[in-house]
Amino acid sequence: MANLKDIKRKITSVKNTQKTTRAMKLVSTAKLRRTEELAKRSRAFANAINDTLAEISYSIHKYKVGGIQGRYFEDIELPAVIDIIFITADKGLCGGFNYQTIKAVKNLIDEYENKKVKIRLRAIGKKGIEYFQFQGVELHDKVVGLSASPDYKQAADFISVSVEAFLKGETDGIILVHNGYKTMIAQELKVDHILPIDISKIEMKESNSMMELEPEDGEKVLESLIKKYLEYNMYYSLIDSLAAEHSARMQAMDAATNNAKEMVEQLTISYNKARQESITTELIEIISGMEAMK
Amino acid sequence: METLKLEIVTPQGLIFDGDVKNVTFPGEEGEFGVLPRHASLLSLLKPGVIEFEKADGKKESIVINWGHVKVDENKATVLVDSAVALAGDTESEIAKALEEAKELVEKASENKAALATVEARIEKAAKNL
Repeated sequence: MANLKDIKRKITSVKNTQKTTRAMKLVSTAKLRRTEELAKRSRAFANAINDTLAEISYSIHKYKVGGIQGRYFEDIELPAVIDIIFITADKGLCGGFNYQTIKAVKNLIDEYENKKVKIRLRAIGKKGIEYFQFQGVELHDKVVGLSASPDYKQAADFISVSVEAFLKGETDGIILVHNGYKTMIAQELKVDHILPIDISKIEMKESNSMMELEPEDGEKVLESLIKKYLEYNMYYSLIDSLAAEHSARMQAMDAATNNAKEMVEQLTISYNKARQESITTELIEIISGMEAMK
Repeated sequence: METLKLEIVTPQGLIFDGDVKNVTFPGEEGEFGVLPRHASLLSLLKPGVIEFEKADGKKESIVINWGHVKVDENKATVLVDSAVALAGDTESEIAKALEEAKELVEKASENKAALATVEARIEKAAKNL
């Protein structure tokens, strides 16, 4: 028979945990809403840059002999080095959120190593960094704090290093892995091959007006836009990942709160049982004592 | 009077959306003005000041560090990295915006001569407030 006092102590402790998890859930819900708002506002920029990119690609495609060329679009058949940028959270307690990303990165590493491609890992977020450091995997670059509060400037700086390396020919591609936001209760792992850019994926928008370009060299404009596009992509992925992190944590904490509730119920039952048992035992003792005295 | 639609977007969101009578941009190859019914144009922008006159005649200035503008169908869409509006109700608010604006262009431009020009423009725009 479990000690009454022990059970009572356990109930109190579980109840306290429940309070914490419930509070964390509420905090995550609020933060999720804020991040969603940020993503929504940010999408205006995405629409505008996509539009412009589509139009300018179209005009270059149409008026220039040989179509669009340049390092950004060169599809290398046998890449030698590939950068993998991946985003994880700085904090845990969000279910399988971080592990899903780490698993995807591990799969990518295996896949490319089989093809004899060298991988350079560039990590954002403490959890991913800790994991790979513990495994003894070398990280080419790492940054902490960016995934918790996305900052455009920092995100741009981070990806610029990688893009520069690509332009110089040090790497032959960049893959961006992050766990993105799908709905309030679901996350979606996203693996984007952001460089080289697949031209067929750029939607070309037909426009009747012949657009004047300034500077006149359309490719210079295009390159500048692509650079921005990549920077923005990085920034948006950070926001997306943050939203997903909050939704994952919300879910995890909701589950934890429910589990704690169940546990309290079970403990209360065993507490009641134990109490009843001790009462019964006492009664029997009293009755047998009386019987003996007769 | 005729107007054109002006939209200024940063990665953090829309910062201006409205009808204007005219607008001046710091283009990569020199400053240029845009009036309603302007021909289609796409231009890169360098650090500088976007000045525009709103439909009610009020003038406003926004300092940017990089961007590009697309003029099409009587609408100008400006994409910028980050921007500071030169505006404020009190002296101290204006001074603060001015300080932020200067910091923004200072970080963005490598060329000292160009920087001086932009700073002079910012000062000038601020005086008109």
